[in-house]
Amino acid sequence: MSTRVMALTVVVVAVGGFAASAAQAQIRSAVAAEKPAFKVPRTSWGDPDLQGVWDYRTITPMERRPELGDRQFYTDEEIAELEGRATKRMTQNPDTTVQTGLVHAEYLTDPGRHVDESKRTSLILDPQNGKMPPLTPEAQARQQQGAAARTAGGAGPAGGRVDSYLDRPLYERCITRGLPSTILPTLYNNNIRITQGPGYVAIVHEMIHETRVVPLDGAPFSGIRSYLGESRGHWEGDTLVVESRNFNGKTNYRGSGENLVLTERYTKVSPDRIDFRLTFNDAMQWVQPWTVAYFLRPSDGELYEYACHEGNYGLRNILEEARLADKAAAAAKKQ
Amino acid sequence: MTIRLAGLASVLLLGVGAQPAAAHHSFAAEFDANAPVTLHGTITKLEWINPHSWLHIDVKNPDGTTTAWMIEGATPNTLLRRGFNRDTVKTGTEITIVGYRAKSGANRANGRDLILPDGSRLFMGSAGTDAPQDGRAPLGEQ
Repeated sequence: MSTRVMALTVVVVAVGGFAASAAQAQIRSAVAAEKPAFKVPRTSWGDPDLQGVWDYRTITPMERRPELGDRQFYTDEEIAELEGRATKRMTQNPDTTVQTGLVHAEYLTDPGRHVDESKRTSLILDPQNGKMPPLTPEAQARQQQGAAARTAGGAGPAGGRVDSYLDRPLYERCITRGLPSTILPTLYNNNIRITQGPGYVAIVHEMIHETRVVPLDGAPFSGIRSYLGESRGHWEGDTLVVESRNFNGKTNYRGSGENLVLTERYTKVSPDRIDFRLTFNDAMQWVQPWTVAYFLRPSDGELYEYACHEGNYGLRNILEEARLADKAAAAAKKQ
Repeated sequence: MTIRLAGLASVLLLGVGAQPAAAHHSFAAEFDANAPVTLHGTITKLEWINPHSWLHIDVKNPDGTTTAWMIEGATPNTLLRRGFNRDTVKTGTEITIVGYRAKSGANRANGRDLILPDGSRLFMGSAGTDAPQDGRAPLGEQ
């Protein structure tokens, strides 16, 4: 199935000149047209069966690189080059003369080595320019205020302020990765496990080992806010649709927090692929909703527990480094 | 500390620059990308713990004493997926570590390469390629 979609994509790319929307429609119609050929397996109680451990590693960027302009798809040559470079990165000795360590040292990470099978040049499917939509005027003002506050208060040392553990991000403190970050391709632990029961779907996120138990029975949102918000699901044909809202505002994604509404769509399109789509909607943040899409593949192995807090020496070390730096600065001042 | 370290490890200053970032376990808040270090020592313990593994080694000093170092490695999940297991790196094995020192000069480092006695390397992977985003999460996200 996916091979056929890819073949069609190649044709779309080859003929060029197609409007981006036409290309996208082609893919969608190809998926739709192929649906009768693939009968989605069912659970014993009759729901589409999406269960398993699914891997969403990809080197496809969230937003299209500017130099690609309006081009929606990579060529096969570009894919070969990108994947070759990513493979080299994972298998060859590091070059000691180049920069390291932006967040994690890159050599500690596992972002995969594949361009998404859609061949798109961005994970963002909509808008078709492959970019996040513009911020609302209110969001722009908030962003400017935040930048001004940081300038006034000082950005702190490299890596951010370290006056207290409370200065450190929730992710670094092993509290949560937050939604949607935990479902977007990232540095490592790009796996989820889907488990189904009558009336419920459980989604386990490997990154910081969080689980969402999603009711499918039409239960209303309670309005209780939490780090992962509240998720409610339903079936649209063979597609699992999960809507999440009521985030507590302590996590945010590019400025969007408590007003964010996320809609995930999981569609099994072949025995070993799930077409995953995620729509962001926050009228306070972006001028229009936007959607990312990528394929989930069966994981090579198990989903491992990521009991992040068990040995979080890093947080302790970061605080210790900062206090030692304070002492050194104080001593230097006295001299 | 630096003088002592120079006696037991080759410290290479390559003049590379690090950029600050605020995300999970900021490298820049803990380690100095301008202070690569090479250490030769014997493994005393490998802690398979989250969010990151920690390798403990004893580095021999010229006077016969040893200094304990802690080396940060990838998360156990990533190590497992790269083919590591408990038999890959055993206590007592003499190894070489290439990594980056803690900013304060404490005996800690972020490990980039682990070189086994037969010359094979673990924790492999080139830094600094310009593949799209290089797998980095957009900075500042939560």
